[in-house]
Amino acid sequence: MSRLEAKKPSLCKSEPLTNERVRATLCVLKGILTSSYGPSGRLKQLHNGLGGCVCTTSQSSALLSNLSVTHPILKILTTSVQNHVSCLSDCGLFTAILCCNLIENIQRIGLKPTTVIKLNKQLLSLCTSYLQSEFCGCRIRVDFSSTQTLLCLVRSIVASKPACMLTRQEIDHISALILRAFLLTIPENTKDRLILGESIIVPLKGQRVTDSTVLPGILVEMSEVQLMKILPIKKTDAFKVALFCASLSGDFPDTGEGTIVVNSGVSLENAVLDQLLNLGRQLVSDHVDLVICQKVVHPSLKQFLSTHHMIAIDRVGAALMEALSKVTATICSLLLCNRNDTAWDELKLTCQTALHVLQLTIKEPSVLLGGGCTETHLAAYIRHKTCNESESILKDDGCTQTELILLTDAFCSALESVAGSLEHDGGEILTDMKYGHFWTAQPESPSVVNWPDLLSRCGCGLYTSQEELRWSFLKSTHHSFAPQTCLPHEAVGSANNLTLDCFTAKLSGLQVAVDTANLILDLSYIIEDKN
Amino acid sequence: MVMACRVINKRRHVGLQQLSSFSGTGRTLLGPVKSSKFIIDEESHESMLISSIVRLLESLDLTSAVGQLLNEAVQTQNSTYKTGTSTLLLLVGAWSSAAEECLHLGVPISLIVSIMSEGLNSCIEEVVSLQVPIHNVFDHVDNTKTFSGLDTCSVNLCPFLQIPSDTGLLKEHDLKDVASPSLTIYNLSGIPVGSPKLFRPQAEVEANKNILQNPQILKKSLLADNHCRKSILIHSRHFNRPDSNQWINKPEGFLEQRGAATPHTYRCNDLVELEMGLSHGDHNSMKLVDEAVRLQYQNSSMQQGNCSVPFMFDISRIFTCCLPGVAETFSCVCPGYITVVSISNTTLIKELQNQPIRIILIEGDLTENYRHLGFNKAANINTLLESVKFQPDSSEERWTNNVLQVLIKFDVNLVLVQGNVSEYLIEKCIQSKRLVIGSVNNSVMQAFAEASGAVQVTYITQVNENCVGSGVCVNFWRSIPSDVIDRINIMTIMIKTEGINLVTVVLTSPLPAQMQAKEDRFWTCAYRLYYALKEQKVFLGGGAIEFLCLSHLQILAEQSLSKRNHVCSGWLHNTSSWLASSLTLYRSTVLKCLANGWHKYLSTLMYNTANYSSELGASTVIQQHLQNATDSGSPSSYILNEYSKLNSGIFNSGTSNKLEQIPSVYDNVTPKIEAWRRALDLVLLVLQTDSEIITGLGHTQINSQETEGFLFL
Repeated sequence: MSRLEAKKPSLCKSEPLTNERVRATLCVLKGILTSSYGPSGRLKQLHNGLGGCVCTTSQSSALLSNLSVTHPILKILTTSVQNHVSCLSDCGLFTAILCCNLIENIQRIGLKPTTVIKLNKQLLSLCTSYLQSEFCGCRIRVDFSSTQTLLCLVRSIVASKPACMLTRQEIDHISALILRAFLLTIPENTKDRLILGESIIVPLKGQRVTDSTVLPGILVEMSEVQLMKILPIKKTDAFKVALFCASLSGDFPDTGEGTIVVNSGVSLENAVLDQLLNLGRQLVSDHVDLVICQKVVHPSLKQFLSTHHMIAIDRVGAALMEALSKVTATICSLLLCNRNDTAWDELKLTCQTALHVLQLTIKEPSVLLGGGCTETHLAAYIRHKTCNESESILKDDGCTQTELILLTDAFCSALESVAGSLEHDGGEILTDMKYGHFWTAQPESPSVVNWPDLLSRCGCGLYTSQEELRWSFLKSTHHSFAPQTCLPHEAVGSANNLTLDCFTAKLSGLQVAVDTANLILDLSYIIEDKN
Repeated sequence: MVMACRVINKRRHVGLQQLSSFSGTGRTLLGPVKSSKFIIDEESHESMLISSIVRLLESLDLTSAVGQLLNEAVQTQNSTYKTGTSTLLLLVGAWSSAAEECLHLGVPISLIVSIMSEGLNSCIEEVVSLQVPIHNVFDHVDNTKTFSGLDTCSVNLCPFLQIPSDTGLLKEHDLKDVASPSLTIYNLSGIPVGSPKLFRPQAEVEANKNILQNPQILKKSLLADNHCRKSILIHSRHFNRPDSNQWINKPEGFLEQRGAATPHTYRCNDLVELEMGLSHGDHNSMKLVDEAVRLQYQNSSMQQGNCSVPFMFDISRIFTCCLPGVAETFSCVCPGYITVVSISNTTLIKELQNQPIRIILIEGDLTENYRHLGFNKAANINTLLESVKFQPDSSEERWTNNVLQVLIKFDVNLVLVQGNVSEYLIEKCIQSKRLVIGSVNNSVMQAFAEASGAVQVTYITQVNENCVGSGVCVNFWRSIPSDVIDRINIMTIMIKTEGINLVTVVLTSPLPAQMQAKEDRFWTCAYRLYYALKEQKVFLGGGAIEFLCLSHLQILAEQSLSKRNHVCSGWLHNTSSWLASSLTLYRSTVLKCLANGWHKYLSTLMYNTANYSSELGASTVIQQHLQNATDSGSPSSYILNEYSKLNSGIFNSGTSNKLEQIPSVYDNVTPKIEAWRRALDLVLLVLQTDSEIITGLGHTQINSQETEGFLFL
């Protein structure tokens, strides 16, 4: 007899963003993200409260994958940021914070969602076309004839992850290693298409960071006993290798639901082993020198192979198998050391990000100025543009100039607040009126002061305070100015310690943040299926 | 699934406070004189005696996030270096208080991190000047001088930071004979080699009344000392010069004196001196290490003849066999493999002894059902019995018979198994005069594989003629009198083969509760020596390097006060932030706090060595030395000077009654420095953490009184 139960009605909530609890949780999430941002960001201890391992991190990928958010609005946000991070590795926190800022600022001005979305799209396209244009004042073309720019890029990424616990020298060491590992993955002879190789990160926990190193090729672990047996290797010509991803341990396939019935006296194990030994004989007749198996090799087969002077290495794992299967490509091993587990995990993630960013930079050979300067510069550019060219922007949108001014202010302050989130110790945040770069000063600086004495360098490190500049507090009301475009080549060439950001990741982060904010701001109903 | 998030450093930094309090529990375990702790389990009423940090942390509840990070740091230090864990724990405590102090003084967190981290870096560069290179310690190792021969030498455990008065020096004299009852140590041939009463209780600040009263003995003892330490640190009056620039750092970082006709280099080329310095008062354990190393050295020179690669101490070929319930004095070192077997093997051993036998080595278990790692047994296989009449033996019996047949076929009388062995098989083997030993250590297996020619196999079916080793001898091991050993109802046997590179250290303890601690202490000493020999260098120990760090930081702090405008923004990763320009403002404050951490560490160390009635007293003495060091203009020269004064036996006016000669105390280099770095890393990691995010918890799972301070997503 079946019982029918009446379906529960779905729950429908209107105007989800006006809900106080949603605002509060968004605020908590934003707090977690902004406090983690940048080189002096605060770390978070993630654990399950039941004695599971503790992860100390400030990276978006680790944070977001461990945060279990329940509200649909937060889910939209975290999912799109995670998606961005899985594709481009870098700029996850930038994307998430910008998105939160946009939602918060735009909600405050109370415009119609349709207007907001239209104008946001306009502003976004202004941003992207400026960043991609030749006269962009915060973008540097990468000069591949020297390692300087790439090294600055890598160093900026490594230095922005405080949970790696690296000293200055260690940052330099690791950055150089990452760059060297990347260069080893570039094949020497390419015909028409460049296919990059792979860097495999090999853990060496508990050792000193400066013991980390890069080796060309693949590092396979084997027991000392086995190693002593095969050394010294006398063979001079290339090794013949057989690669198995299936288990050679001699166990039976899963019978599923069925049962196998065997006569007594018949040993299935021996039957399987006989098959394995047949395989061994085949390998002998094929003159194989090295047998590598992803899983386990039966001890008897191993013994058989070794009596025929073959080297058998088993349990190499899936990750290494993939690399081994394309061993003819350029592959290198990055042996990574750090003092404790949590710092090692963070360092590994950082290296992966940096290697990915280098790949992206090869595809699109540009970098953006980091340390908050791109954000403030872009905000200044947009403010100036909408102020002076509002007609062309508003062409056939049906929006008013007031709406444009309101939204521009919300949009630009959202960008500027992202830059401001780099400051965690109460310092004053300023911008200069010539380049629109980002500057910080010590807290409670007097209002009348000789700024050049108090300030040292802008966030990205390109300009010093000794130039003839005027500064204003970033929070105070803005009168628009045209930031200097077209970065002079000489200025960039001479600066050797710039903070730089990945162009592709930042540009995509900007787009994802605006699109996600648009999506969230456009939500009128949340319908929850309660069944 | 709900996630909770807690802000942990609103007003006071909870994480740092937790670190301080965890660290406090290990305070008495720092230094050579450790006060053991009893840990009592309230539920099972079981108690445990612990005297090492690793064992302490094993017994503490460290489920909090910070506790786990601390445990992780200590475990990593222990698994990598086997030494330096108490340094690590104590510095974690000292520096978390220092970091908290900085927070109270309003120093921005990023600056605390940069300045402390660079401050420690600077210390690590500075202490290179106190490195002592080790040269050819095995050149004279065949001399009669052994660790056991160093009878009259006694070690002051804080030689550098001496107690300035002599009041407390005599107090422990009478305890000596009580602590070490008269007993005898046998060497291999069974001849007593020395009276262990000469290994005095640890931490004894030696000033022998008899010596004082009897000038003849005094003369003899001084002579003996001179003999012992003919190679000890050379010093010269030039040390006294406040201007240190006649000392230059050689490229490899060792101190050398410039200007002298033949430059004196600080070096250690005597094994006993090195071991004495590294024993940190634990002479009993170090004596065993010394004997083990000598046996290994003799073995290796015998194997190689005279031409040879330099000898390397191979710690993996040292094996410990613990015999609880046997008096301490029976601890000894023997070549080969000594192990405990059941009394039921007596007849078997009698038959096997005094003849070379054949051996096989099994990795894994030797049971019917054992399968190699990675083999998955199929679940759904039924065996069909063909005939009801046919009653086969039980499958275990069949398997046992197969094993026995293999053993008989290859004439094998000894089976060493890494894992477990079927009881039934052991029984059957005894009947057929074959000895099977289970749970054999991996390096023992390896040693037998090398020496006997046996090849390790997983299954008995793999055995062929090539896998069988030969020439192995099994004998009773009777260095412990039978009445002692019978009392605890065990039997010890020795298994050897020609040229085997394996040394067994038999550790005994009348109190089973102390067995673990004794084994731990042995390995600590062994690893100290291992790293010293491996690195070919040691630090001057006994607080010297820590004191140099302290005085170096104080000088740095003073300098940054006087040179306010001195640019040191290179100390910060992010040179463009305002923090870089405010660095000079806070530099001196943070460096002072870091130095206070060293001060606290040193006073705990000195207080524990029992020379001082309070940490405050110790602190005062440190302060005096600090003043002297600063006044001298070069702390490292001051330290070297103090050291050489003590070593040359010059009777310092302040310590006129002290007649003992104080050999050097040494510390390992990399393990020590890594412990420092690890400690600071942990403190800075916790300092930079502002919230704790607990994943996967419902509201209900957090106690209602704790929900305050939690935010939920």
